[in-house]
Amino acid sequence: MLWKLLTSSMRKMWKDYIVLLFGLTVSIAIFYMFQTLAQNKSFLEANALITSIVFVFHVGTFILAMVTIFYIFYATSFILTLRQKELGMYMTLGAKKGKVTQMMFFETLLIGFISLIIGILAGIGLSQLTARMLMNQLNFSGEGFEAFYSSSLITTVIFYAILFMLTAFVNALKIASKSVLDLVRAPQQADPVMRKGWKIFAGTVISIILIGVGYYVMINMGTFLHFGVIAAAITITFGTYFFFMSLLPFIIRRLKSIRTLNDKGLNSFTFAQLQFRISQLTKVLGTVTMLVALGLGAMAASLSFYHNIEIQTSLMYANDVAVYQPTEEQLQEFKNWDFQEKNDYTYKVSDEGVYFLKDDLLNNPPFIQQFTGNMEELTRTVRVSDPLPLDEYSDTAETEERMISDDWATALRSELLATSRIFGDRTIYIVDETKFSAIDAEIETVTVGRLENFTEKSVALEKIDEHNQEVSLAYTGSIPDMTGSKYENYTSLKAIANGTIFMGLFLGIAFLMMMASVLMFKLLSSATADTSRYNMLRKIGVRRSKLSASIYKELFLIFLFPGLLGFVHVIVGMEMFSIILIEPYTKIWIPILLFLVIYLTYYLLTVQMYKRIVLPKKS
Amino acid sequence: MTKPVVHVDHVEKIFGRKSENSFKALDGVSFDIYPGEFVGIMGPSGAGKTTLLNVVSTLDQATSGKIEIAGRDITMMKQNELADFRSAELGFIFQDFNLLENLTIYENIALPLSLQGVASKNIRPLVHQVADKLGIKSILGKYPVAVSGGQKQRAAAARALVHEPAIILADEPTGALDSKNARSLMETMEHLNRHHSVSIMLVTHDPLSASYCERILFIQDGTIYKEIRRTEDQAAFHQQILNVLAEFSSLDQA
Repeated sequence: MLWKLLTSSMRKMWKDYIVLLFGLTVSIAIFYMFQTLAQNKSFLEANALITSIVFVFHVGTFILAMVTIFYIFYATSFILTLRQKELGMYMTLGAKKGKVTQMMFFETLLIGFISLIIGILAGIGLSQLTARMLMNQLNFSGEGFEAFYSSSLITTVIFYAILFMLTAFVNALKIASKSVLDLVRAPQQADPVMRKGWKIFAGTVISIILIGVGYYVMINMGTFLHFGVIAAAITITFGTYFFFMSLLPFIIRRLKSIRTLNDKGLNSFTFAQLQFRISQLTKVLGTVTMLVALGLGAMAASLSFYHNIEIQTSLMYANDVAVYQPTEEQLQEFKNWDFQEKNDYTYKVSDEGVYFLKDDLLNNPPFIQQFTGNMEELTRTVRVSDPLPLDEYSDTAETEERMISDDWATALRSELLATSRIFGDRTIYIVDETKFSAIDAEIETVTVGRLENFTEKSVALEKIDEHNQEVSLAYTGSIPDMTGSKYENYTSLKAIANGTIFMGLFLGIAFLMMMASVLMFKLLSSATADTSRYNMLRKIGVRRSKLSASIYKELFLIFLFPGLLGFVHVIVGMEMFSIILIEPYTKIWIPILLFLVIYLTYYLLTVQMYKRIVLPKKS
Repeated sequence: MTKPVVHVDHVEKIFGRKSENSFKALDGVSFDIYPGEFVGIMGPSGAGKTTLLNVVSTLDQATSGKIEIAGRDITMMKQNELADFRSAELGFIFQDFNLLENLTIYENIALPLSLQGVASKNIRPLVHQVADKLGIKSILGKYPVAVSGGQKQRAAAARALVHEPAIILADEPTGALDSKNARSLMETMEHLNRHHSVSIMLVTHDPLSASYCERILFIQDGTIYKEIRRTEDQAAFHQQILNVLAEFSSLDQA
């Protein structure tokens, strides 16, 4: 009989249950989505620029699991609020407590089970959709990525099964511990949690210490490495929740205690709305903060990898282009190019060797990237200044003094591209005028240039690489795979980085989706109770515009705090990448702007939705 | 003669679309309430009491006819004007208290003043003054959930009074109270009416509550069926009301 009652009233409240199912489903789908990457080791290792990528994903799994646990406990407690009055009523009619407790347990479990099935299906769909979309956009083949990945599926199922068992227990315990009266009167009961002063103080100190330690570790990631990543993940996650649990009630209470502010217009109501469910709100805001940090962090990091490529290649090459035996056409084209510097060097090629004319090199010494041995700077752009007093140098000389010096060797290899790729196994020489003219071969030139803007000439640079390969064919009898040019390095790094960018954006999208669903859930789950309040305010004569302004204000605060803290987490967290990226903050405004636009749009959308639910209809 | 504070002139309210299934809840109702009057509206369920109150309180619009409150025609006002009008000129007391449970009693009472932009330093004495009048000064810092039904209703009355509206509209204010609390609330309202000249329009079906009024309008099928005035003491008036109600039941049986 009780079961019949239960299912029939579940049907009656299907709208509320849909909201709950939606909230749980998205969480499961996103968790699964994350796992499709995290567990696909071969895909990660083949496509990431970070060597310990699998480890990074382990830590990511940990953070996501933490956030999910907080969220699921919060979301399933919603079943309790939906149900307790009714269960209390059954008890007044004579239902046994044991039976009612049992009902709560199985109901939570049942809802968990349904959402798990839908969530996994949605997760597979979302992974597939997002991956395809990104792969198309990035021109990334993404081989090895599978939207349906069985070990991820198993992990997700096990994780949520345990979680739902736990929440079912907690819900049942909560019902068991309440008196009939508490249950029946539950909906009217407010919980303006008034934490004691010292508790707020202690909580605030703990949160500041935890976040502080996390930040310190992230900034000094070079020293702490793997241990640091783990430490930062733990301290920052818990620090964030502590922050909202202690500081937020404090801030709102402070705001409320400023009488002139509280007495102004609807402010007392707006603040009360926040204070009223603060204990639920703290969990939501903590979760949203972490999701903002993860989502924005993933996007910022992946884009940072992308921008890093150009910086990275510029560390290896001082010049952007080297053309052997340039054609008349190419020389004409160069006249329109924006060169910072352009030099011609003459050389001759015999069967045994390649001979560069010493005077050309000394008259216009090329720039090279010189290694500094200093981690901060890595390389520095300098002009080769080593003197060449002798008549002949080579890379195979028997005496030290006739060996080509390091700087000159770098110049020939990296800037002039005079390597075996173009010249086969010929010895490289630098010779003076007399020796040069004695060699029985054609005089050739190689043009080396440093461009104003490297990336804008990519099409032409690719053609020049092909041209150099043909020159090499003439010298060696075969076409080399590569000529070792800056452009080649740039494109191959970009191809590798695409994998990392794919992962970053994939996760960024996933986390931002989950953030959206968490906030939406918060909103919709409290809408029913809010509707009557707004209705009451309208009766006593509050203008619609004022009600609407109150909603804007309330939601603004809800969006502001996690947005800000999440943003700070990311800004500090990016410093972590300075051990693998040269300038992690390059063009960071792009992901930030992107995030701001998404977040702002989401804020406005939420306000509109909420207004439509809670505000009385216009007559 | 003074101008009436509420002037209702041939008001009709029709629910549903014109031709089909339409139902006339109010059919040409006319009456006046003068400043300082305590007027009761009685009638059986479905007679149109609540509809009348909703129309007078600007929460619903009359289909035709004219309603003036404090000399202003509310049938011609727009949504925002109506909201402002309600917050300035009307005070509401509902059966189910309608306090905001997430605000303290103090904040609930202060709300109408805040909404009118009264400066914070002026709000405090006003709230304390009205709370004093209603004997709820000691619970100002509490939340509605922590106080009794009678106290809640007094708080609601305080909120209705605090901004000195032209008239208080009370919809079954004693409906959710026990007889002791109900009597005490009605005595308070009578006191406010006698000694502070507060105009009150009370909708009720409880003869005892109604006996505190000076004048009672009985509604039946959307029209005013009878009007009686209190001439002797309260007990006699109570009996008079019971007699009229008895007429109603005999009408029903006929």
